[in-house]
Amino acid sequence: MIISDLFILDNLSKLVATFISFFILIILIYSFGYIKERKFSYYFWFLITGILSIGVVFTRNVWIVISLWGFLGFTLFQLINLSDDASSTAKKTFIIVGGSDGLMLLGFILYAYLTSSLSFNLYVDKQPLIINNGLALLSFIFIALGCFAKAGAIPLHTWIPDVAKDTTVPVVAYLPASLDKLLGIYLLARIVKDTFILDNWAKIFLLIIGSSTVIFAVMMALIQHNIKRLLGYHAVSQVGYMILGITSATSLGLASGLFHMVNHAIYKSCLFLCAGNVEKQSGSSELEDLGGIGKFMPLTFLFTLIASFSISGIPPFNGFVSKWMIYQSLLDLFNNTTFITLKVTISLSLVMALVGSGLTLASFLKLISSVFLGKPKKIVKEVGFSLYFPPFILSLLCIIFGLFAYSTILKFIEKGVGEIYFSGLWRPLLSTGLIVSGIILGLILFFFSARSIRYSSSYIGGEVLEDEVKSEDFYNTIKDLSLLKKIYNSAENKYFDIYDQGKRLIFLLGRFLSFLHNGVLPTYLVWCLIGMLGLLYLFFR
Amino acid sequence: MVIIPFFTILPLSGAFIIYLVGRHSKFFTDIFANITTFVLFLLSLFILFFKPFEPLLYKVGGWLPPWGITLVIDGLTRFMLITVNFIAWTITLFSVNYMEKFTSKYKFYTLFLFMLAGMNGLLISGDIFNVFVFLEIASVASYALVAYGVEAEELEASFKYLVMSSFASLCILLGIALLYSYTSTLNIADMGVVLWEKGIVPVVIFSAVLFFLGVGLKSAIVPFHAWLPDAHPSAPAPISATLSGVLIKTLGVYLLLRIFYNLLGVNQIFLDILMFLGVLSIMVGVILAITQMDIKRLLAYHSISQIGYIILGIGLGTPLGVLGGLFHLFNHSVFKSLLFLNSGAIEYTIGTRDLSKMGGLRKNMPLTGWTSLIASLSISGIPPFNGFFSKLLIIIACMEKGYIGYAIWAIIGSILTLSSFMKVQKFAFLGKLNSLYKEVKEVPIFMRTAMVILAIICILSGGMLIPYLNNYFLLPAQKVILGGLDYKNINQSINNEK
Repeated sequence: MIISDLFILDNLSKLVATFISFFILIILIYSFGYIKERKFSYYFWFLITGILSIGVVFTRNVWIVISLWGFLGFTLFQLINLSDDASSTAKKTFIIVGGSDGLMLLGFILYAYLTSSLSFNLYVDKQPLIINNGLALLSFIFIALGCFAKAGAIPLHTWIPDVAKDTTVPVVAYLPASLDKLLGIYLLARIVKDTFILDNWAKIFLLIIGSSTVIFAVMMALIQHNIKRLLGYHAVSQVGYMILGITSATSLGLASGLFHMVNHAIYKSCLFLCAGNVEKQSGSSELEDLGGIGKFMPLTFLFTLIASFSISGIPPFNGFVSKWMIYQSLLDLFNNTTFITLKVTISLSLVMALVGSGLTLASFLKLISSVFLGKPKKIVKEVGFSLYFPPFILSLLCIIFGLFAYSTILKFIEKGVGEIYFSGLWRPLLSTGLIVSGIILGLILFFFSARSIRYSSSYIGGEVLEDEVKSEDFYNTIKDLSLLKKIYNSAENKYFDIYDQGKRLIFLLGRFLSFLHNGVLPTYLVWCLIGMLGLLYLFFR
Repeated sequence: MVIIPFFTILPLSGAFIIYLVGRHSKFFTDIFANITTFVLFLLSLFILFFKPFEPLLYKVGGWLPPWGITLVIDGLTRFMLITVNFIAWTITLFSVNYMEKFTSKYKFYTLFLFMLAGMNGLLISGDIFNVFVFLEIASVASYALVAYGVEAEELEASFKYLVMSSFASLCILLGIALLYSYTSTLNIADMGVVLWEKGIVPVVIFSAVLFFLGVGLKSAIVPFHAWLPDAHPSAPAPISATLSGVLIKTLGVYLLLRIFYNLLGVNQIFLDILMFLGVLSIMVGVILAITQMDIKRLLAYHSISQIGYIILGIGLGTPLGVLGGLFHLFNHSVFKSLLFLNSGAIEYTIGTRDLSKMGGLRKNMPLTGWTSLIASLSISGIPPFNGFFSKLLIIIACMEKGYIGYAIWAIIGSILTLSSFMKVQKFAFLGKLNSLYKEVKEVPIFMRTAMVILAIICILSGGMLIPYLNNYFLLPAQKVILGGLDYKNINQSINNEK
């Protein structure tokens, strides 16, 4: 480990920097095939973003981190602006990300105030700050909010689905899906590990944010009609798991959070790139326009399938391993605490995380069935090399990190966070063998009994159904459940969007103030006189 | 120092010469006005580097203070002179092309140079009655300049501005009169000595209230701000830039610093009022700004908000806070002038100030678009632009002194500022190009030059905090303010010199 006043080079930063470079490379390869216009500004801001991100990871001085971090918001803004009709999304994104940078800055200044030293480094060598009063908690929450906005956790997540829908795919796969997650979660893990010692309330805060992120985002993902927006909501939902992992602040917890972060970046950018392939070849990203593409684009289909299984946490893919570790860390935390509120929160979060995992699978079944299966709507071609090679590498990594996690990446993370103790063991190779043999057994049984399969048309209420049953229609029934309907309606009217609510509040205040400024000169002079009376009172008191 | 009076002599004589010759030759007016402001800028740089650390004095007519009139240059004056004359120079550069669309350009330059003479005179004057005289010169010139378009809207705004601002001048004059009756002297330093010896009595406190009201009105601190959102947008863009960029700071903030910190002395009650009004201005200004659809009106409201930051920093009274306040004063002059010039460039090409009628202009006006983006990021405090550093200093200073609530408000104000400038960017420069403006071209060369110079300063001036560089510019000014009542000894140094 190399550490100086300005820089830090330990396994944690090396890990994140390695993956940042990896994603720069992968998405660069993809961009060669995808980006056809505004090449200069795209590659310019693309590379600047990459370099600055690596800079953030290796920097230790807090003011430099803040400066780089703030500038990254601007490069994101520029990258989003490359699409013509994304200007309001770009504006929203920059306001949320830039605004939370301000809060993070405030958090750091509060930290400096509490430790009474202004020139401080981020990952202190001295004793971390114990959160034992309101101000310290406030400082932690402000810094965490900066991380949340970058990574996209509730309540600062609302820019991610919009960006996913409105911008070109390489940009989405590059920033919200991989680099921003890596940075946000990295910084959160750092401050949890080195800068603060969390108390129960800070843990409860993280648990609530994490579990609600998981569940709300996945519920929203279920009802989406656009592939990219659906994936965008999943990009939010998975952040919840990472936060849940980091909460326990043990080496297992940190490792699970970081591992899930890496896994997520891998499969989510794979999914986005595949969605980009589909969009490029078929010209649409709306689910209802697509169908049966799996026949024409088998490679894209295969990679999407692998990544979908990973994100849904199906063994033996990588998503399962990290989720399993996260659950273990939460159970450990549950056993080690005597604080009853924390115990209750942990149990609730575990339930939510499990439900969220199931719902993730449900929404990916929807995606896969309506995009790749069913009757083809039109004939498309498979994409070229530079467009299927990056997803190929990424899905390969999904399998490798699933099967050989303990011998490869976890070894590396372990050196960064300290030794990891597992309470429940998972033997990937053995279980994979069992799973695969089970599938083979099933296939054999299927082929032996193939004669007894009966094909017939779809019936509803005794009548033959003329139209094809679309899977997204099936998911629309979720919306019609009475309680959920209300929630969904208000979510679609952006009642839960902190950006829109803030906007409403500010405009209300603005209208009130405009009403006071009625343009009549005597009113203004009266204000001056009132001000003068106030001054007289205060000065002569 | 014999060159000190030239800060007023040059612009005054320039104004007269332009008025006499200008109506015959447009070419001459442009050249002459630009040379005048450029020479003034060079002079202020010269004054900065010539004996940078000691006060300079000039005795008008050779009369010794406290009987004669003195012109004083100390760290704060140097700082302000550079700010004012630098902005004035870029603005005359911009006006070469921009003011073509108005008739009788020479009248504009005449008034502009009068205003500049007023501001420079106010800054260098060591005599409180002369301060008032120059303040009136600058104010009267600015009333005329606000009404320069002579449309109904401009005249109404100018009238409101005139009434409110005259009220402010009246308060300041009354304050001066009361102080004079008590101390029997008009020399600021000498007044300080007398006040020191005779002590503070209610009449001095009353005059302090009057001064506060006066400078509060001139610098548009809430609740004395109401004239600004009418006056600043109505003027031609270069004048809006001058008014928002330097006039409210010279007539308002500088005078506040000089009178309260150097002459009357500050106490905690005063500082508390200042900080409270600063935070109030930040929030009221920015919330009103965010709802505007008229680009110049939006910018004008932001002036109130940014003055709030300056006042907050200065009101903290700690070394870091004062440094942050002064630095923000300089930065705000630069980026707010730039933003007003950008809005002028838009008005010049497409003829409207309504944000909803713009769109996609960066494609056809890349330079205006980019400079405006830089200025927007600076004012919103995005690193590494200059606004970030000054706001950072102010917020750290708040925290250092334990005013956590004020720090949080300052951050929220900053987030809202970012929001409203993202709105400007989105409506004006990004998105699809409005089909009406397909033929729009970038603005002429001098307008571009002025904007580029200011944008470069926006990017670079964060570096003024670097230890060796800030010795020349920021720290001497900070020292004058922190030195407080030591200003009264400034006459001794001249007598010793003899």
